[in-house]
Amino acid sequence: MIQTIAFYLFATLVIASGALTVFARNPVHSVLWLILAFFNAAGLMILLGAEFIAMLLIIVYVGAVAVLFLFVVMMLDVDFAELRAGFVRYLPLGALLAIVLAVEIVFAIGAWSAGAINMGARIAPVASDVSNTQAIGQLLYTRYIFLFEAAGIILLVAMVGAIVLTHRKRGGVKPQDIGHQVRRRPEDATRLTRPESGQGVEL
Amino acid sequence: MTDLSQYLPILIFLGIAVGLSALFVFLPMGVSRLTGTHNPDAAKLSEYECGFPAFEDSRSQFDVRFYLVAILFIIFDLEAAFLFPWAVSLQDIGWAGWTTMMVFLAELALGLVYAWKKGALDWE
Amino acid sequence: MTAWFASWGLTYEAAWLVATIVGILAIALPLMLAVAMIIYADRKIWAAIALRRGPNVVGPFGLLQSFADGLKVFLQETIIPSGANRGLFLIAPIITFTVALMAWAVIPFQAGVVLANINVGLLYILAISSLGVYGVVISGWASNSKYPFFSALRAAAQMISYEVSIGFILISVVLYAGSFNLSVITLAQKGNILGIFSANGLNPLLFPISVMFLISSMAETARAPFDLTEAESELVAGYQTEYSSMSFALFWLGEYANVILMCALNAILFWGGWLPPVDWAPLYAVPGIIWLFAKILLFFFIFSWVKATVPRYRYDQLMRLGWKVFLPISLFWVCLVSGWLMLTRYS
Repeated sequence: MIQTIAFYLFATLVIASGALTVFARNPVHSVLWLILAFFNAAGLMILLGAEFIAMLLIIVYVGAVAVLFLFVVMMLDVDFAELRAGFVRYLPLGALLAIVLAVEIVFAIGAWSAGAINMGARIAPVASDVSNTQAIGQLLYTRYIFLFEAAGIILLVAMVGAIVLTHRKRGGVKPQDIGHQVRRRPEDATRLTRPESGQGVEL
Repeated sequence: MTDLSQYLPILIFLGIAVGLSALFVFLPMGVSRLTGTHNPDAAKLSEYECGFPAFEDSRSQFDVRFYLVAILFIIFDLEAAFLFPWAVSLQDIGWAGWTTMMVFLAELALGLVYAWKKGALDWE
Repeated sequence: MTAWFASWGLTYEAAWLVATIVGILAIALPLMLAVAMIIYADRKIWAAIALRRGPNVVGPFGLLQSFADGLKVFLQETIIPSGANRGLFLIAPIITFTVALMAWAVIPFQAGVVLANINVGLLYILAISSLGVYGVVISGWASNSKYPFFSALRAAAQMISYEVSIGFILISVVLYAGSFNLSVITLAQKGNILGIFSANGLNPLLFPISVMFLISSMAETARAPFDLTEAESELVAGYQTEYSSMSFALFWLGEYANVILMCALNAILFWGGWLPPVDWAPLYAVPGIIWLFAKILLFFFIFSWVKATVPRYRYDQLMRLGWKVFLPISLFWVCLVSGWLMLTRYS
């Protein structure tokens, strides 16, 4: 019973915050609604019994990706009202995508002979004594080894790409060189003299 | 099978925590109206600046470096995400699984070396 | 506890609910009290190191100082700047404080005494602590003021930088315990050093990362010497500049609750949690919660001590420490620890 209530609570909130993400006028608000949507999606994942995925959803999407989004919308001074002016122009394409998605959802529901919401029991083909984190591990690093390594390569490419795109050398800065500082001895920097009275020091 | 009953306390805790902190924020606002400490004026409500009106919009553009840090963070976070299931299933997957991960880590170590050499990790 | 409430004639569900709510309040309310006292302790330790007396007027030894401060801010006016984004401005402290409370749900205080004994406890803590960024970023942005905005950006970059190395450090611990459950991690440390001591931190392989974790946890909670987010010489009071009254106090409370949490994590992950430091039967007569609190207080003393003695880092130094020192070392340590375990335990 509580599962059902929780499911409808999370599902409603996901949809509502998803809608608000689209309709919010302020882009920062959009991102924050998106975060709420991620959060509730994580709740749905927990209801499915996929606790590892739920935590990853929060750690990776909420904790990392959304921070980047927030940085971007806070940094770029984009006039979003102007972007929204293109709404009518992109409407046909958007509508087409929406229809395709809706049809897919209908098919998915049709294929899944409907029943009471007992999702945890339905999608969890894992032995009861193994936590699903462990179950993922047992498959990912043995059977799906190539996909896993490919994921590593993709991450590498992403990292290189990000650096190439955003990194720029700035001139005129004086970065700290610790090795240089540590190597420097008192003899290099100071000079002891004993000048005669009235003579002064020649620099 | 995940024990969902262990998650319900967290949900209830979330509700109580949000309620408690909302109470802490909104109750003083009510109290200050009752006690008469609530009397805002234009100068009090202006944003903090060193004794003069702000020259420009405070939400200025900032260095792209923050953006780069966020991207690098995502990548290393994902890498850590791949390490989590590996860490708990190490005894089941044996040397093969261990070697797989070492190759994966080597790929990312390569990325780290690249970032290092390019100076993307420097903050001047 | 459920059974005890059920004996009052409640149904099982109702008894469970009452027991859970009592459990939650038994965590949240003492935590707030603990925060009040720990702020006092912080000021006293800091004063003692600087040869001052610290708070000593309100109540015996100044013990009631924090409560007096609390009452004062409670009665003050909440100022919302006219340029601020009202809703978000008020939500930010709520997020900060909620997040600081939520993480405690999975902390085991004693054998079997934990609110939510989930399999992925450590991941839950990581997830919750990654949310802490939002309270800061939102407050900085919503204030619509220059200094909070800069501070929020700095804080966000700092927190995410150190989260990376914290993630890798945690993996080394998880490798040893073979689980994300904090109770299992604690129990795995029982007598793990020569059958005498119960502490991961005494393991020569884990000691270096226990030190790294301690330092990273200072950076993650933006404590001195990493308190660049509120470097008063540059940023006024950081992201809290525009806040007043209880909303300001919530940031304060949340910050200290996070500090205590990090102390607790240090204690649980590396120094045996609720287990007595020496695996010797008579020591188990002392309740586990007292051992845990003693360890938390010890770590808090270290935090305070560092705050009083170490000068503040510069931002480039902070970033270098995170990305160029901690990240490679913790990455290397994952390989080292897992290789060692493969050779000794799993083959």
